[in-house]
Amino acid sequence: MTKWFVGIDSGSALCKTALFDGKGVTDALAVKTGWNPGLSAAESLGCILKRNSLSRGDVCVSSTGYGREAIDFADCSFTEITCHAFGGMNLAPGIEGVIDIGGQDSKVIQIEGGRVTNFMMNDKCAAGTGRFLNMSCERLGLRLEDIDEFADPDEAIPVNNMCAVFAESEIIGLLAMQKDRSKIMTGVLQSIAQKIRQMTGKVGFTGTAPLLMTGGLSKSALLIRIIAQAISLDVITHELALFAGAVGACVCAGDKGRW
Amino acid sequence: MSGSALPSQFEGFADARKQGFLTVKNLKDEGKNVVGVFCTYSPVEVVLAAGAVPVGICAFSDETIAEAEKVLPRNLCPLVKSSYGFAITEKCPYIYFSDLIVGETTCDGKKKMYELLSDFKKVHVMQLPQTQSGETAKEMWRKEVSLLKDKIEEEFGVDITDESIKRAIRVKNEERKLLKEFYELSKSCPPPITGTEQLKVLYGSQFKFDYAQKNKELRATIDKIKQDYENGARNVPESAKRILITGCPLAGATEKIVKAIEESGGVVVAYENCMGAKTAERLVDENDEPYKAIADRYLQIGCSVMTPNNNRYELLSRLVKEFKVDGVVEMTLQACHTYAVETAMIRKLMQKENVPFTSVETDYSTSDAAQLKTRLAAFIEMLP
Ligand code: SF4
Ligand code: SF4
Repeated sequence: MTKWFVGIDSGSALCKTALFDGKGVTDALAVKTGWNPGLSAAESLGCILKRNSLSRGDVCVSSTGYGREAIDFADCSFTEITCHAFGGMNLAPGIEGVIDIGGQDSKVIQIEGGRVTNFMMNDKCAAGTGRFLNMSCERLGLRLEDIDEFADPDEAIPVNNMCAVFAESEIIGLLAMQKDRSKIMTGVLQSIAQKIRQMTGKVGFTGTAPLLMTGGLSKSALLIRIIAQAISLDVITHELALFAGAVGACVCAGDKGRW
Repeated sequence: MSGSALPSQFEGFADARKQGFLTVKNLKDEGKNVVGVFCTYSPVEVVLAAGAVPVGICAFSDETIAEAEKVLPRNLCPLVKSSYGFAITEKCPYIYFSDLIVGETTCDGKKKMYELLSDFKKVHVMQLPQTQSGETAKEMWRKEVSLLKDKIEEEFGVDITDESIKRAIRVKNEERKLLKEFYELSKSCPPPITGTEQLKVLYGSQFKFDYAQKNKELRATIDKIKQDYENGARNVPESAKRILITGCPLAGATEKIVKAIEESGGVVVAYENCMGAKTAERLVDENDEPYKAIADRYLQIGCSVMTPNNNRYELLSRLVKEFKVDGVVEMTLQACHTYAVETAMIRKLMQKENVPFTSVETDYSTSDAAQLKTRLAAFIEMLP
């Protein structure tokens, strides 16, 4: 009989759910977290179970993400750092680490011999997080999904301020000077890459294997390219990268013999 | 966690700071002089020898920071802001009752704060050298210790006899030996007590002013814990990851770090900071000339205000082995530059020792509790 796992990664913006058969992902779902992380998680679980004709008793539910404490019906729970690492290894075996840019924080995780050996997290300041990018897009009148299409791939107007609040003023100033929006956008992406570089530098990657970019922003090929350039390391992504945390929650639950 | 009953003396340490308020007031009423100290570089033997009472000044709560920020910049170490805040608001009875405050030129924030403090309190600042090596530094600090002696004698109109300084040295050494014996109980696997409990005693012992009584209580606490452990009592599961905490002074508001570790499957076995090993490990040489011996001992404290700070590295390397540490967590306080810069050296050192290391920066607010929890829980999950 298949051992089924459901991993729920409750992030600040999206609640990501993955169904896992012990080896790989067989179904996945992302919904808005909303004001009640427990509720969006419960609804996601219900939806995944229903469309796969499973019942609650057939699965082990493992939670992660900043809202994990609110998921009181989970059988076990792990931090998002561990989950992103193990999810990353499941999706892209052989990687040396994970870069995750989340809504509230960003993190860089080092993997050696199938284990997490080091990580860095920026959770004190909005710069370098999804929140900062969101704010910038709003200022520039863009949608997050359109970054790649819109940003100038070759030329950037640097946004120098490392503080998200001041960076916003800087963007307003640049717009007032009628600077090119597409180049400001590239500057914003570069400033995120700089933040990531501060973290990768402290971790000290060897460069022998690529890093996997996870989270919602892994959809932007341009951002990945800019980050790879900034940190001088190979960065790859995966079509299920958004679900890396949820997948990792399943892998961790399996490792812990929770099923 | 199944708990054996902790010795009752143990709880006595938990309340020591509060109980001490009353004790200090009574001591004052009896005509005793009180000397407030801010830092572990303060040679309290000199104070004790003068028959005065040394007290550690409150510096670990955010309740006075808003008041302090009316004068001090926001972007300053919370320890400095908090202590200054306690002084101006008179919320710290220890400062309130202090006849004299002794400070040292440690970090920039503190030494400049003393200037402000001296507007309304009597402050004596000792010039602390910034290095421990070389005769110049040693000579200077010996001179400073003897100046402190002169100052205290003059201030309180007493003569510190050779006999009384030697007695003070013995009493303080005795306390240090007991504290060391106490925290070294946690070398056992699993440790007999949690890090929260260990900290209660380490921190609380500062606020017991009758040394003979305090040393007796410490002895009793150690014996009781030992006995319970030998009888099979276990308060900490075998599986708990053994964590050493290093970095800036940790107490009060920043106990949130210990809590986050111990709620996530870890147990703090050792403190390499000003609450623990940093202060207790070194004794004053009882066979040397007293003031020279005091000066030489204090100067060797491995704080990041020293350059280079080899004694911290030496102590850390030793403790991680002695306490069979699984991981090291460093706590730095926001805007503490010397510790924050030294993090890079400590990270390298721990790599060399092959001990997983993480560093977290925090302040006295509770706003980062959830993030700290995630970070520290992830660190503990990461440990092999
Ligand atoms: S950390 Fe350094 S400056 Fe601060 S109390 Fe300890 S010895 Fe003094
Ligand atoms: S923690 Fe750092 S900045 Fe704060 S008082 Fe101690 S040495 Fe100074």
